[in-house]
Amino acid sequence: MLRTVWGIRVERRLDIPRRTSAAISGLLILLSFVVASAVFEILGVNSVRTLSTIVSVFLSPSSLLQAILRGMPIGLAALGLSIAFRMNFWNIGAEGQLYMGMFAATGMVLLHAYYGAIPEQLLFITMILASFISGGLYCTLPGFLKSKLGVNEILPTLMLNYVAILFVDFLVYGPWRDPKGFSFPLSIPFPDYARMDGFFGNSSYLGLMIAIIVAALVYGLMRWTTLGFELRLVGQNVDAAKYGGVNLLKTTLIGSFLAGGLAGIGGLIIVSGLIGRLRPRASPGYGYTAIIVAFLAGLNPWLIVPAAIFFGGLLVAGEAIQATLNLPVAAVQVFQAIIFLMIIVAEFFKRYRVTFKR
Amino acid sequence: MSLEAVVWLESVLAGAVQAGTVFLIASLGEIYAERSGVLNLGMEGMMIVGAAISFIVSNALGHGFAMMAVILIGLILGLGHAFLTVTLKLNQIVVGLALTILGLGLGGLLGNAEIRKRIILALNPGVEERNLIVQEASKLPDIHIPFLKDIPVLGSMFFQQNALVYLSLILTFVMWFILFRSSFGLALRSVGENPAMADAMGINVFRIRYIAMGICGMLGALAGSYLFIGYQPFWVEGMTAGRGFISLALVILATWNPLRAVLAAYLFGGVETLQFRLQLIGVAAQLPQFLLMLPYIVTIVTLTLLSLESVKKKIGVPASLGIPYSRE
Amino acid sequence: MESPQTLVEMRGISKRFPGVQANDSANFTLFRGEVHALLGENGAGKTTLMNILYGLYKPDAGEIYVKGKPVQIRSPHDAISLGIGMVHQQFRLIPTHTVAENIIVGSKEIGFTLNYDAINEELSKLIKFYGWAIRPDSRIWQLSAGEKQQVELLKALYRKAEILILDEPTSVLTPQESTVLFQTLRRMASQGLGVVLISHKLDEVMGVTDRVTVMRKGKTVATKLTKETSPEELAYLMIGRQIGVIEAKKNVAPGPPLLETYDLKILDDKGLLAVKGLSIKLHSGEILGVAGVSGNGQQELVESLAGLRKVEGGKILIGGTDMTNKPPSMFIDSGVAYIPPETLRYTAAGMTVAENIILKAYKRGKFSRRFLINWKTVFNEAEKLVKTFNIVTPSLKTRAGSLSGGNIQRLVLARELALQDDIKVVIAAYPTKGLDVASTEFIQRKLAESRDKGIGVLLVSEDLEELAMLCDRIIVMYKGEIVGELVRGEFDLETIGLMMTGVKRAEARV
Repeated sequence: MLRTVWGIRVERRLDIPRRTSAAISGLLILLSFVVASAVFEILGVNSVRTLSTIVSVFLSPSSLLQAILRGMPIGLAALGLSIAFRMNFWNIGAEGQLYMGMFAATGMVLLHAYYGAIPEQLLFITMILASFISGGLYCTLPGFLKSKLGVNEILPTLMLNYVAILFVDFLVYGPWRDPKGFSFPLSIPFPDYARMDGFFGNSSYLGLMIAIIVAALVYGLMRWTTLGFELRLVGQNVDAAKYGGVNLLKTTLIGSFLAGGLAGIGGLIIVSGLIGRLRPRASPGYGYTAIIVAFLAGLNPWLIVPAAIFFGGLLVAGEAIQATLNLPVAAVQVFQAIIFLMIIVAEFFKRYRVTFKR
Repeated sequence: MSLEAVVWLESVLAGAVQAGTVFLIASLGEIYAERSGVLNLGMEGMMIVGAAISFIVSNALGHGFAMMAVILIGLILGLGHAFLTVTLKLNQIVVGLALTILGLGLGGLLGNAEIRKRIILALNPGVEERNLIVQEASKLPDIHIPFLKDIPVLGSMFFQQNALVYLSLILTFVMWFILFRSSFGLALRSVGENPAMADAMGINVFRIRYIAMGICGMLGALAGSYLFIGYQPFWVEGMTAGRGFISLALVILATWNPLRAVLAAYLFGGVETLQFRLQLIGVAAQLPQFLLMLPYIVTIVTLTLLSLESVKKKIGVPASLGIPYSRE
Repeated sequence: MESPQTLVEMRGISKRFPGVQANDSANFTLFRGEVHALLGENGAGKTTLMNILYGLYKPDAGEIYVKGKPVQIRSPHDAISLGIGMVHQQFRLIPTHTVAENIIVGSKEIGFTLNYDAINEELSKLIKFYGWAIRPDSRIWQLSAGEKQQVELLKALYRKAEILILDEPTSVLTPQESTVLFQTLRRMASQGLGVVLISHKLDEVMGVTDRVTVMRKGKTVATKLTKETSPEELAYLMIGRQIGVIEAKKNVAPGPPLLETYDLKILDDKGLLAVKGLSIKLHSGEILGVAGVSGNGQQELVESLAGLRKVEGGKILIGGTDMTNKPPSMFIDSGVAYIPPETLRYTAAGMTVAENIILKAYKRGKFSRRFLINWKTVFNEAEKLVKTFNIVTPSLKTRAGSLSGGNIQRLVLARELALQDDIKVVIAAYPTKGLDVASTEFIQRKLAESRDKGIGVLLVSEDLEELAMLCDRIIVMYKGEIVGELVRGEFDLETIGLMMTGVKRAEARV
């Protein structure tokens, strides 16, 4: 299809070589730095200092570890999203699934602490399983609505976020409130063996390990298994999938379960690695950032992990900027948003070839 | 019922209107956008930008200029969304989310003391010292309508509010009328249901969607502006608290009808007010959470019902919602 | 001054699409006050010609005159302002809106505020004039197909159309509704309108029209006064020269029945009965052709035989086992290969060639063990198939969507024919449509080979030459039923043509 408006020629591409695609992405990411600087300057923010603070986060080992740890919940949720989006399942509910993971993990700790129902040695494993299942089930509800009733999943997943956040609020203000916590809305602190830093010293190491293992599993699933093939096929062309004999209902449910489950594990990392207990609003929007990360990485599991670390670093930088430059963390959010917008616009240039007519 | 109870109830109802107006204004805009087939997930971002802009400009130049600035910026945001989704035909969900994050970020930045000071001084060098530092702005004054304000219950609900509340009610009826009783509204609805058909009948699909998104942007920002200068004039980071997304849910509950949107908006506003009042009188803080969950759950149920074949025929999601149009 | 008698004149219209000459110097005139049929098989160029008149396509060559004046029709808006209206096969209506809303949208006459009282009154007058029963304030979803068509007609009449084009209007109507439609058309003609009726159904054409123009392969073959011609003559003009009976390639005696249907009843997407009690038997080692103009139930039949569409009544047996309404995966497992008509619809354009080749076979033993796909085997097999089937592709990892039409078709063939070990039945729907000569020949050869291996082939096609060349038996479908069956040696194109257009019926032998 060809359109010419005001001397600009727009042509749909048939196929795009990997190099051009990467070049377009790279160019636009660079452009985002430029645009962000411009926005900062207009608002009177010193862009050079801001950007150098961001860069310095990745250069010092201690803040890098922090960046990694912060990035892990984002990364796990994004890995789940890489499955969901490939299936054409627009899971905006990663945030809520994170919270359901947090809920399940905390629940296991409480079962152990109050009822002795789980022995010390098995606690952490149980927490992983519980958060996986909890997040997974939470995501299958919209999955079911989509495949059985044809309800578009965007709003249900979004709405369920709020339900999950409120649910955790309820728990922490109410039945799960730490009696020794001076009336603050906090759960009991997790014992050492339920905390991530109980394993290798710094939580970041365990977090990174989990993320890499999961990334490998996701990669393997999508590339080498029949299930992965079916998930991708459903995302490409539902008619072709049916024709190829794929059970749409089953595949959608499994796919959404996996996506939610991985986000659930991300929630585990929050309560067990970042905070050490459950509190309200424990996630400052990690589930939404995960969407940006998934897109930035082109849904590639191996790129998601470094991208997530990058965004974790942005968060750390945000706090540093707040302390030293007296700027709100929001500056970093603006940067994130600009990167996101640039990637989206890159999509356009990848789909169409634009030339200027003389 | 004791007098105290009646007075308390009255204040809750009046509060419902005040709190609900935010949702109402935003939903009206979103209704137009979605009826034309464009899903605007960026409402939350537009709202907070509106709040921040009205905060800054009203401290610099007063309410009048604040309104103008808000409407202008909202229009730009709306048209920007349209450019990306209608002309570049990019995925509407992704664009909306990006705009939300951008808006939230910008809102946060603008709310920062240093930046705010700089902008206010730039706009009005001769402004009072005080205005540069305070975290608040003056609230829009209430306008009491004589005679009508003394009607029991309804009086305090509807006739003792500020100008934006009255505006929102007027807007509701005007927008309902245009949507269902004018040729523009018919064209807009047709574009949302079957853009190919509308195109064949001579309607410029792209222009209609741009107009709808422009309106949506303006009203979204206006809603945020109301939130600040009409409802809670003290700046808090992230003060929109998800209201933009709730408005999306509200639009569905109202089945894309401005008149029903009023009811839904005041319902949500009522829940918000009730929760606040209950906390004040010390009722256990747990109950409100489940109450607050209700709107979201009802939305999901509504969506499910709407996808049943029997219902789909009569009222439904605008058929082309979320799908970019190209003439191929 | 009297208005001209000739409403439309099209001279020397030619239009080419990639790979096919849709219109070849076609000529057409329309008089005031007549119902004029445009008759021909699918692909003859009738719809293209009218789409050009309605501004949806631009002709490569030729001129158009409306009411004596030369015109350039660049879009439907131009056509509408010239007084031309078109009713397509697929309605463009908004179900949740009212009749009135669907009719007036976009009209310049109505002003900003809508006065429904006045509008409804005006519409009611039109409705009453034509003897219809619809109400302007009803919602479209409440209406039947015939009534929806009336709304489409009203769209044009409201805009004071003097030229009305209807594209295969009876394809969605019940017999009673068709009668009402024909009364309406005659009434319109009596009002001085010119009506063009695009159709392939001879019985209808003979009944309601004043003149008939026959098209074949893009050319206008003849224009006759209806009362001066006969169905036989028209069928002959439609289909062309007589083909002598072609020698069969191989005379293998057919074996046991591999696919049987009993009294099959299938609904189409609109909920109407598309297949009305069809019973056929397909034997091993035979090619059974299904002739007929597309839209007479073939699509629905074929989809149900692959498990992609539910049946309302009747039975399907594959190899003796009842497979009625079972899921596609079971059909695949019981040895049914399906070559679908719209190949792109069932191709994952964004996935690689190799992945598309194993689209149905990925669970098979040699490609996957347990849950893992053995890509090495996949690529080996795919390599072989690409060679055998001559699929032109830069590599096995190329996006399938970037292949040309002919190559996608070969890919589909490869997928269906080569990878399933015990194929019993091949169902091929319009497999060579729109393809170049080489690809066509290749596919026909492959089908014959399958037959020689003992497979039963069901070939649905509109190309009578192809059917005559390949098939051992041909059945003709019209309006969801079998109206005739011929065996090799009896293939007579004229008879088939008459059956295809509903004029002749014979007792079906099963």
